[in-house]
Amino acid sequence: MTKTRMNLPAGIHKIMALVETQDLVKNYELGGETVRAVDGVSLSIDRGEYVAIMGASGSGKSTFMNMIGCLDIPTSGDVRIDGIATSDRDGDALAELRNQKIGFVFQQFNLLARTTALDNVAVPLIYAGLGGDERRAKAQAKLQEMGLGDRLDHSPAKLSGGQQQRVAIARALVTEPVILLADEPTGALDSKTSEDIMQIFQTLNDQGITIIVVTHEAEIANHAKRRIEFRDGKVIEDIAVTKRRKVKP
Amino acid sequence: MIGNLGQKAAGWVVNVAIAMTALRTNLMRSILTTLGVMIGVFAVTLAVAVGSGAQVSVMQSINALGSNMALVFPQPDTGEGGRRSFDRGRLTMRDARAIEKQISGISDIAPQLRSNIQLVVAGRNASTNAIGATPGYGKVSNLVAESGRFITEADVRSAARVVVLGPTVARKLFGDFDPVGETIRINRAPFSVIGITESKGSSFGNDNDDIALMPISTMRQRFSGDTLAGPDDLQMLFVGFEDGVSLPQAKREMTRLLRERYRVRGKDINPFTIRTTEEFMKESAQVTGIFQIVLVAIASISLLVGGIGIMNIMLVSVTERTREIGLRMALGAKRSDIRNQFLVEAAVLCVIGGAMGLIFAIAAGTALTVYADFPVPIGVGVGIGAIIFSAFIGLLFGGYPAVRASRLSPIEALRSE
Ligand SMILES: Nc1ncnc2c1ncn2[C@@H]1O[C@H](COP(=O)(O)OP(=O)(O)O)[C@@H](O)[C@H]1O
Ligand SMILES: [Mg+2]
Repeated sequence: MTKTRMNLPAGIHKIMALVETQDLVKNYELGGETVRAVDGVSLSIDRGEYVAIMGASGSGKSTFMNMIGCLDIPTSGDVRIDGIATSDRDGDALAELRNQKIGFVFQQFNLLARTTALDNVAVPLIYAGLGGDERRAKAQAKLQEMGLGDRLDHSPAKLSGGQQQRVAIARALVTEPVILLADEPTGALDSKTSEDIMQIFQTLNDQGITIIVVTHEAEIANHAKRRIEFRDGKVIEDIAVTKRRKVKP
Repeated sequence: MIGNLGQKAAGWVVNVAIAMTALRTNLMRSILTTLGVMIGVFAVTLAVAVGSGAQVSVMQSINALGSNMALVFPQPDTGEGGRRSFDRGRLTMRDARAIEKQISGISDIAPQLRSNIQLVVAGRNASTNAIGATPGYGKVSNLVAESGRFITEADVRSAARVVVLGPTVARKLFGDFDPVGETIRINRAPFSVIGITESKGSSFGNDNDDIALMPISTMRQRFSGDTLAGPDDLQMLFVGFEDGVSLPQAKREMTRLLRERYRVRGKDINPFTIRTTEEFMKESAQVTGIFQIVLVAIASISLLVGGIGIMNIMLVSVTERTREIGLRMALGAKRSDIRNQFLVEAAVLCVIGGAMGLIFAIAAGTALTVYADFPVPIGVGVGIGAIIFSAFIGLLFGGYPAVRASRLSPIEALRSE
């Protein structure tokens, strides 16, 4: 990624940012009162970055994340993904964008019950229009990468929390997206398992995948290269992480 | 283009797989929902088949009468309204002869008398509606003697005491024994059995074989002398026509001839009635058509209830799986993907129900045909129609829940409990 940037005129990377928000606002009307969940956030995240979004509960982290994931529609402002403006796109175009460019990891894993790990991972490929054989082959390869090659036919109920989250990560990655969005990915896991997940994220980032992770734990945030702090819907701090935690392989 | 089509087909296969998983997950609920559609399709299919069966049955019984003929009987035709100059209906043997001579295209005529008779032989007895007939009766009604012979001109001329029995009457009196040549008593007079007619089956529970025939002259002398107003009167006249003769035209000509003979003028009521087999066919096709529509309409109510059951269950399913819908949207499902997933689920439920309903309808139809002697034809067309119609019900009643699912906002769906 850095190589590409060197060949381009100075400043162009700003335009080519992977995720870019401009005065992003999300208001909720609650009983006649307006809750400013996200209140004018402008920031830019480049390819290859590893960003932790921190802040107290209710500070607007998830709302911000959902908007850059094209799951939620901003009240005003704009989100650009890979140079594509999203505000003028319809639901189907956004679905395609999510399918091709974004992988989601959720706190509660969100795996389909009574569905095998293999079939869970293959779901995004259905919507990418791939045939059954190709879907199975790709899903199997991703699960093997996540160290779950021997759990292909297990349903979520037969997997531990850490294993379930790894299935979810395989599902997020199976379409080869450029961004991985994770909202409190370790929130439902113990600290040992959390470390495992963090190691996977680090490896993925080393491979060039852009990662944005929402967390309120400093432990987790310190794995990232950049930390953005939210308070009351605004960014109050945006700094490089100096003492990065590295998980030993 | 081809690849695109292939992709679409693959998409539908996936949807069927998703639907099967979802239906298996809630097996009991799926079965109960399917049951509603099953009963509906069963009722509608059977109603269609019974309606067609009635049509077939009526046509058969009209054909059993003889295919191309007119019936003339001495009953004032009140169809038109108007003045009535006769105290009773009129039809005589002389009228029959005049018709035979003056109307073209006639193959045979069958003048008849009718009377209820009592047949007795060696301690057994039977009562039946007897027809006093001429040889023409056999020709006009396609009735031949299976054993022995039919009534001849000589029998009529001599008013012979001979009788031709229908198979049912023969069986009642003689069992399996061939009675040709035997003597039986009819209203105490000895008659010689000269033949047994071929079986004409039954139509609408009415046994066409429960008959006896004797020469018209014999019946006139012995059984109906006092009941008839005139010595030459007839109770019924069948006029058989050659193929290709226009029956409405023939009816007009016969009407004109008989009106002349009875000097009926202007709008006055005719003292006779003429009906043709063609009219019977048209009328009964109309009646059975209405019968079928009413049956199907009633049966459709159960299908409607089944469809509402589908809609209800699909709405529950959409609500229960809101989170799954949100997840699928997050992973790239378009609105149409979600809509199709639920449409296919409803259609699968309905088609399974429809197939089972069809199987039960075929079983019930076969039972009716075998045990109740009523034809219930369920052809390939009706079968395929039932299945396609079931799928249509699925799309119709599954449509609203499916569209509702597809309109959910991804984030709200994902956040729901
Ligand atoms: N769907 C919603 N309706 C109303 N208010 C909401 C909704 N979602 C979030 N909020 C409010 O927006 C604010 C930010 O929420 P959220 O983004 O979930 O915070 P965080 O993820 O940082 O805990 C909170 O005050 C929350 O109550
Ligand atoms: Mg949150």
